[in-house]
Amino acid sequence: MTGTILSLRNVSKHFRGLVAINDVSIDLAAGTISSLIGPNGAGKSTLFNLITGYLAPTTGTIHFGDLRIDRMPTQRIAALGIARAFQIAKPFPELSVLDNVRIGALFGKSGARDVARVTAEALDVTGLRELADRPALSLTVGYLRRLELARAIAARPELLLADEPCAGLNHTETDEIVAILRRVRAAGVTILLVEHDMTAVMAVSDQVFVLDAGTKIAEGSAETVKQDPRVIAAYLGDASEDAA
Amino acid sequence: MLREGIAAHRRWIVASLVAIVLLALAPLWLAPFHVRVGQQFLLSAGLALAWTILGGFAGYWSFGHAAFIGLGAFSAALSMPALAGLPPLAAFLVALAIGCIACGVLAAAIAYPILRLRGIYFAIAMLGVSQVVAELNNNLDFLKGSMGVTLPAIVPRAIDPATWFYYAFLIATVLTLAIAFAVKTSRIGHGLVAIREDEDTARMLGVPTERYKIMMFVLSAMLAGLFGIIYAWSLGYITSGSVYRTDFSLNMIVYSLLGGIGTLIGPIIGALLMVVLTQVVLGQLLDIHMMLTGILLVALVLLAPRGLTGFVRERRRARRGEGAP
Repeated sequence: MTGTILSLRNVSKHFRGLVAINDVSIDLAAGTISSLIGPNGAGKSTLFNLITGYLAPTTGTIHFGDLRIDRMPTQRIAALGIARAFQIAKPFPELSVLDNVRIGALFGKSGARDVARVTAEALDVTGLRELADRPALSLTVGYLRRLELARAIAARPELLLADEPCAGLNHTETDEIVAILRRVRAAGVTILLVEHDMTAVMAVSDQVFVLDAGTKIAEGSAETVKQDPRVIAAYLGDASEDAA
Repeated sequence: MLREGIAAHRRWIVASLVAIVLLALAPLWLAPFHVRVGQQFLLSAGLALAWTILGGFAGYWSFGHAAFIGLGAFSAALSMPALAGLPPLAAFLVALAIGCIACGVLAAAIAYPILRLRGIYFAIAMLGVSQVVAELNNNLDFLKGSMGVTLPAIVPRAIDPATWFYYAFLIATVLTLAIAFAVKTSRIGHGLVAIREDEDTARMLGVPTERYKIMMFVLSAMLAGLFGIIYAWSLGYITSGSVYRTDFSLNMIVYSLLGGIGTLIGPIIGALLMVVLTQVVLGQLLDIHMMLTGILLVALVLLAPRGLTGFVRERRRARRGEGAP
C-alpha cells in the first residue's frame, strides 16, 4: 500500500430538499479493493456519480491523489485515471469487442501509446480474446459485464469504479468476475466496488463501507462490518423498531 | 496511428490509386458528355465524403450543408474584384482559400450551440441555418445573390473547360478522400465513432467530444465550401438559387446512405451509382426518369438498409455462419 488514492471529505449532495449523501468521508488505500454496500437508495450510485464528475457535491471535497476533482468535467477525470464500469453495460453495440476495448485504450490514461498491447492485455485479463471480432451486441449479459470491465481496464486507470459487476449473474459467472477483479488489483489498480452480491463482496474486499440513507454507518474489514449491529439493522430492519 | 491505418488498408489504398489513375486518364477517351457526367460524379462523391466526415463518422447528420456550398461560392466570387491585380489562376486560388475560410468561420461560429443538439434536432437546425444563409445572401443587395455574379474565366484557351473542371473536381475529391482517410484511421476517427455509437459513454471514456465535433464540423464545412467554389466557377455565373440548392444537401446524405454510412467507399459508390443511373441510363427516359429514380431509392433503402457496403458485409457474415447467438 502506498497511501491514499481517493479521499472524500465531508461530502454531501442535496437534490432540492432531498439529502442523497450526508457528510460522507471515505479514504481508499492504493492497491486495494474496497466495497460500497448498503440497501437500495442508500446513495451508492450517487456517490459514484460524484466521484466521476457526473454530479458536483453540494458541500465537501473529493481529492484524487493531491488533485481536487470535485469540480472537474467528466472527461478530465477520466483522463486523470479514474475509469468506471457500469452495471447496465454500455458497449458501443455496432462495434466489435476489440474496437470497444481499443477506444478505452485510446482515450484513457495510456493515451495513444502502446494501444495494441494495452488492448490485448485487457482482452486477456477478462478472457475476451476469442470474442474479439464479435460485435458487442451479440454478447450475453455476463460477457457484456466483462467487456465493460475490459474497456475500463484498457484505459489504464489507477482507480476503477465497478458498479455491480455481478448483478444478475450466476455463481460461475460471479466467480469469473471476482477472479478478474483480483487480477486487476494484482496489476496495481485500486478498485471501488458497488455490489449487492455479498459472496462476491466478502471474497474480494480489503475494506467495506456501508451506506444507509446517504450516511456512512460503518467501515472496516468484511468480517467486522458483517457483525456490526447498525449494518444488520440497516439491512434487516431494527428489531426494537419492529417491536414498537 | 496513421501509419497503422495505411498498413491495415494497403489493398484499399492500392485500389484507390489505380482508380485515381484511371479517372485521370479517362478524359482522353471520354466523349464530352461523359466528361460532364464524370464531373458530376466527382462533385457528388467529394461532397458526400465531406459530409461523411461529420455525418458518417460522428453521426451528426447535417441537412443543410448547401449553406457552405453557397457561402463558399459567394465569398470567393465577391472577393474577386479585390484580387483583380493578380493573374487569373492565382486570383482564383486566393479566392478559393478565402471561400473555404469563410465556411470554416461560419461553422466555428455556430458550432458550439448547434452541436449541443443531437439527432434529428441537429439535422433540422442545420436545415434552418442553410435557409437563413441562403435568404440573407439572396436579399441583401450588396451580396448580389438575386442579381447574380459573373465569374472571370480562368481556364486557358487551349484547354476545354469541361476537362479542366473535371481535373479540378478530381483533385478536390482525392484531397477530401485523403483527409477523410486520415481522420478515420486516426485516434480522432475512433473517437468520432464512439460519439456516433453513444456520446455519453464516449465522454465518460475520456473522448473530448465537444472539441472533436467542432473540429470535424469546421473541416466538413470547409471541404463542402471548396466544392461549392469549384462548382461556381464551372458554371461561370451564379445566383443564390444555383448554389444554395436543397438537392445538394439531400444528395450528400442519400449517396452516403446508399453506399454505407460511416465508410469511405460508401459515399463514392453511392454517388457513382446514382449519377450513372440518373444521367446515363435513365437520361434517355426524360419523362419518367425522376419517378424511376425515386422508385430505385425506395427499393435500395428497403433491400439494403445499411447501404451497399453493409449489404455486402452482412452477406459475407451470413455465409461464414456467424449469426448472433
